Amino acid sequence: MNRFRPLAIGAALAFLAGSTLAASPTSPAELQAAWLAEARQSNPALRAFSAERGRSFFSTAHGGDWSCASCHTNNPGQGGAHAVTRKLIEPLSPAANPRRFSDVAKVDKWFGRNCKDVLGRACTPEEKGDLLAYLLTVKP
Amino acid sequence: MISHTQQRTAAANASDSSPRKILVWDVPVRLFHWSLALAFTTAFITSESERWQLIHIASGYVVAALIVFRLLWGLVGSRYARFSQFVRGQAAIREYLLGMLRLRPPHYTGHNPAGALAVLALLGLGLLTAATGWMTFNEVAGDWLEEVHEGVASTMLGLVLIHVAAVLWSSLLHRENLVAAMWHGYKQGRPEDGIARRHLPVAVGLLALVGGAIALALA
Repeated sequence: MNRFRPLAIGAALAFLAGSTLAASPTSPAELQAAWLAEARQSNPALRAFSAERGRSFFSTAHGGDWSCASCHTNNPGQGGAHAVTRKLIEPLSPAANPRRFSDVAKVDKWFGRNCKDVLGRACTPEEKGDLLAYLLTVKP
Repeated sequence: MISHTQQRTAAANASDSSPRKILVWDVPVRLFHWSLALAFTTAFITSESERWQLIHIASGYVVAALIVFRLLWGLVGSRYARFSQFVRGQAAIREYLLGMLRLRPPHYTGHNPAGALAVLALLGLGLLTAATGWMTFNEVAGDWLEEVHEGVASTMLGLVLIHVAAVLWSSLLHRENLVAAMWHGYKQGRPEDGIARRHLPVAVGLLALVGGAIALALA
């Protein structure tokens, strides 16, 4: 069995590398505070995030064919479906789905992927803050 | 004055076992190799965008189908396709790897021991990548599965790069184009070391299997 040892070690290492990336708990309020501080570095006049700007950001396309609503629908208090795979997507608003915006790694991952798909660039802290401000107003 | 060695070489050249073009890799082995390379590359490229999710998923199905086929072909395939022909012990692996460093690795007609190691590891990692990808998409377990999926895929990419570098290095040391051989199937060697059949029908079957995997992924 010696010849399979490198394989076993490799698999074990990959598994460890994956599983040690544990959850990094957070809350919408914590995220808002962090994004506000970040946004103020480039825009010191910013007082608070705007749910209205967030709603418009969510539902309009940004030069491409997709908006956030393409998958999350115009009612993020309810579930949506992936625009390509049609896989069901759980509600995005924290009131409808308490697991949303509760893990920093997941928030960063999905903003990273989805902003690139919808905007063709990363979202700014201000855009993220506005969006979450909007989502926090959506009830299931 | 003619030495014994020269005499023997001359005799060998005159006989039927002089080095010539021999078939080493059957068509299924070659089709598998390049299809896996293409499917893995496609999966990697399409991993970053939701737009390419279906292509990403289909690539994963193809990777799984290819590897399942290769595992079977490794049991019943032609001479150099069989695991029993190229899976060797630690001593042979060490000898070959040290030989690569000392610029004089022993020559093998089929997979050399380092290549064999790459075959086994890539088969295992490929299957693991496809399986964890499927489990991630179908939410069989927690979010950690996705981290494992990415970790295994990155490990596989690293191994692919090492594999490519080692193939180029071995090609240089053996003065034998291993990449071209994996493409057209031929190497220079003794006629009795060649395989007799190309197994084209099996390759056609493999193509059908790949088509089925894509259809299953998109269904």
